[in-house]
Amino acid sequence: MPKLMVLISGLAVLILSGLAQAGSKLPEDIQWLTNDSDPVYAASDAVKGGTLNTAILSFPMTFRTVGPDSNGSFRSAILDNDLSLINIHPNTLNIIPELATHWAFGKDKKSMYFKLNPNARWSDGKPVTGPDYAFTLEFMRSPHIVAPWYNDYFTQEIDSVIVFDDYTIAVVGTRAEPDLHLKLGINPTPRHFYGTLGPDFVARYNWKVVPNTGSYQIDDFQTGKHIRFKRKKDWWAQDLKYFKNRFNVDRVHYTVIRDFNMLWEYFKKGKIDVFGLTIPKYWHDKTQIPIFEKGYAQRIWFFNDTQQSAMGLWLNQDRDIFKDTNVRYAFSHAMNIEKVIDQVLRGDYFRLEQAFMGYGPYTNDTVRARRFDLEKVDHCMKASGWRRGPDGIWEKEGKRFSVEATYGFEEHTPRLVVLKEEAKKAGIELLLQQSDPTAAFKKFLEKNFDVAWMGWSTSLRPQYWEHFHSINAHKPQTNNITNTDDPEMDKLIDAYRNSLDEKERIRLSLEIQQKIHDIGMFVPTFMVPYIREACWRWWRLPDPPGTRHSGSLFDPFNSATGGMFWYDKKLHDETLDAMKSDRAFEPVTRIDQTYLKSPQGGDSR
Amino acid sequence: MTLSPLTRKKLQRFKSIKRGYYAFILFATLIVISLFAEILVNSRALAVHYQGRYFFPIYGAMIPGTTFGLDYPYETNYRELSRQFQIAGGADWVWMPPVPFNPLENDLQTDAYPPFPPSLKDRHFLGTDTSARDIVARLVYGFRIAIFFSLTLLVVNYLAGVTVGCAMGYWGGKFDLFFQRIIEIWSNIPFLYVIIIISSIVAPNFFLLILIMVFFGWTSLTWTLRTVTYKERAREYVLAAKALGASDFRIVFKHIIPNTVSVIVTYAPFSVSGGIVALTSLDYLGFGLAPPTPSWGELLQQGWDNMDAWWIVGSVIAAMVLTLILVTFIGEAVREAFDPKLHSTYE
Repeated sequence: MPKLMVLISGLAVLILSGLAQAGSKLPEDIQWLTNDSDPVYAASDAVKGGTLNTAILSFPMTFRTVGPDSNGSFRSAILDNDLSLINIHPNTLNIIPELATHWAFGKDKKSMYFKLNPNARWSDGKPVTGPDYAFTLEFMRSPHIVAPWYNDYFTQEIDSVIVFDDYTIAVVGTRAEPDLHLKLGINPTPRHFYGTLGPDFVARYNWKVVPNTGSYQIDDFQTGKHIRFKRKKDWWAQDLKYFKNRFNVDRVHYTVIRDFNMLWEYFKKGKIDVFGLTIPKYWHDKTQIPIFEKGYAQRIWFFNDTQQSAMGLWLNQDRDIFKDTNVRYAFSHAMNIEKVIDQVLRGDYFRLEQAFMGYGPYTNDTVRARRFDLEKVDHCMKASGWRRGPDGIWEKEGKRFSVEATYGFEEHTPRLVVLKEEAKKAGIELLLQQSDPTAAFKKFLEKNFDVAWMGWSTSLRPQYWEHFHSINAHKPQTNNITNTDDPEMDKLIDAYRNSLDEKERIRLSLEIQQKIHDIGMFVPTFMVPYIREACWRWWRLPDPPGTRHSGSLFDPFNSATGGMFWYDKKLHDETLDAMKSDRAFEPVTRIDQTYLKSPQGGDSR
Repeated sequence: MTLSPLTRKKLQRFKSIKRGYYAFILFATLIVISLFAEILVNSRALAVHYQGRYFFPIYGAMIPGTTFGLDYPYETNYRELSRQFQIAGGADWVWMPPVPFNPLENDLQTDAYPPFPPSLKDRHFLGTDTSARDIVARLVYGFRIAIFFSLTLLVVNYLAGVTVGCAMGYWGGKFDLFFQRIIEIWSNIPFLYVIIIISSIVAPNFFLLILIMVFFGWTSLTWTLRTVTYKERAREYVLAAKALGASDFRIVFKHIIPNTVSVIVTYAPFSVSGGIVALTSLDYLGFGLAPPTPSWGELLQQGWDNMDAWWIVGSVIAAMVLTLILVTFIGEAVREAFDPKLHSTYE
């Protein structure tokens, strides 16, 4: 019986690929490219083995990477193990191979051709072939996945996937554009696993572990408690040039530890292996403890040079009060970010000037965040006819300038209470609402907030459409949380998305950033152009410990920058012995400035 | 109003239990003082004398700095004003409260990072918390919130609990049976989970939190009241009242409840301490009143995070222990004073 099934499904694949083949032939005048000459960045002396124990603050709401509630922070752990056709070298930004060995650009400037690596395997052992890429399109366009963003993206942006044979495909965009490789290097989706999608997709695949192509796969989990990833024995890509000596630990174990302080206690006990020290209090004070002084654990301060998260206060323009530009400006001028940086964050953070910093030529360096300025607040508010009430808060027609700021991390409270007190001077009442990170994010996506205190993840080029295009405004579950709805902005964004010319795109990008500043729905707060982490002594890193674009030195999965660390059993035993006999090592604080760039525009602080 | 001899005897007995009596006086004083916390602990001055005029900023609208010839339109910083007047040496003066901070302001310094240790010079008598807010101020205002929270909770809880409990005991039968089952089911709803769910949707305010806690708290008293009412109902005076044609309502409220009051009163102090502990633990867990409301639970949380800042955890634990001991002393004394064994005679 199983044999028959295999035969039938094999037949289906043949027929389908046959269908796709009809009428399409691989052009002969394309030039196949590959890249095996960029420098490797993993350490050649890395060894395999060990378990990385790490933690997440809340258990993911689903293992799906599309559909309702899937856009959480754990999603990246799953997605990072889904390789794409190609990737970007984190230091040179050149294209490097992943699931494809070769690629070629079409003459029409909207298609790319790929030769697939015939060795590529799904985690269930099935080969990764052309139809799996065609299925990605079918999958992402399906209404059953309840993911309007993806439905739209894979319709509006990607036109088709042409399967020439099992190992040669073309991905065609809907229009000619530059940076084609950033868009067309799609992921395969296992057709044999999903079969035909139905309306039960969302519920059915909530906790399913989907076959993937990366180095790890979830092999055990308990809802609400822990998730364990296991390294694949004989992973098909382990000897590829840019993957060699990476993804070294055998297991990555995420435990749910719901309290950030508990996390630190777990680290101190050695129950988790690494701990982020970006928060100043941790780097300066909390690490003044024996395990660091005796050298059992180490501190690393690594400067990177990468896109900065758009962190700050996002104003919901569907709220009546924020419909007025003057009020938004006044709000920006009432946020004393500089005071928070100097007196709460010890001057360790840098002022973020705008939402898209660190994007190279795509960043508009002339945009400056609005500084704390009571006179300007006064000016803006009076211009809109507001007056100060008896308690000093602005009032107009029975409305008070009292807004709720929602945030997800207890650790951020000291920053917000200072902002709140300073805002009071400016006549604005900021009510603080802290909730669970997942709940806070859900609130933001549902546009059910006044002011959102949050940061977005970044991408290689600035993404404007999802955050600022009116098509994503006034509806839940889209990233336009500020409900920006501005015809001029739409025009600019459409032009940016449609432009083929890199120079024009850069010009438009700068214009859009100026426009974001002019609308004033975002108050940029901090940027952190570095990573600080603590790890136990037996964790080893290459030299330099990260790449230009590393977001973490101990990211276990990221296919471009992750998995560079490894476990040293000898050092582990030695450290445990030393701890038992109370023998101390030299304390280690490793500061790496390989990629340090002076802050853009000089006095960003 | 005249007190029945029995009640007078109970009160006398309560007074004679010195420990409980003094605890009660001290506790009542603390509550009264906390009502006037604005006069003792505040960043606003008690009185300002400026260019021949007097200002009393404590109660009332905020006075912008421009009123005193300063260059800012927001609320006057009276500590700073006082310093300036002293330097100027004129006839102007500022009279500050003993603790010149309000519980929300951040007294940040340029060369150091909070929490700051206790300092007489800065008038942070118990130091500051991690956001440089004065701990005395947070404790005092936190106490006021906690105690009134707990008292309000008590009143509402008892209103619901006594009414339903009495009704169950008085009518008995199917009504009793039905409500017993309802309450059993009710008390099986996990309280903490519901709080977590609700506070993840809305930030609970004072009254919402009371509502939630009453929702789960009223059941506990019903059992006792039901039993006591059953007992009282069988007594002759109830029978007599019934024979005279008194309504159910009158019998319950005029005759039965006054006779169960000793039970209610005995429970009350322990409910007060229960309420304080509940609010503190909810705040500690982050599901209580929204920050930056001054709260003991939040201080406790900070203390736990910053064990090396001993003054945070020390102050709040000392304050909690003191309050809870006072309430417990009162409770014990009340229980003893109202102990029916001393007053009832059995045939």
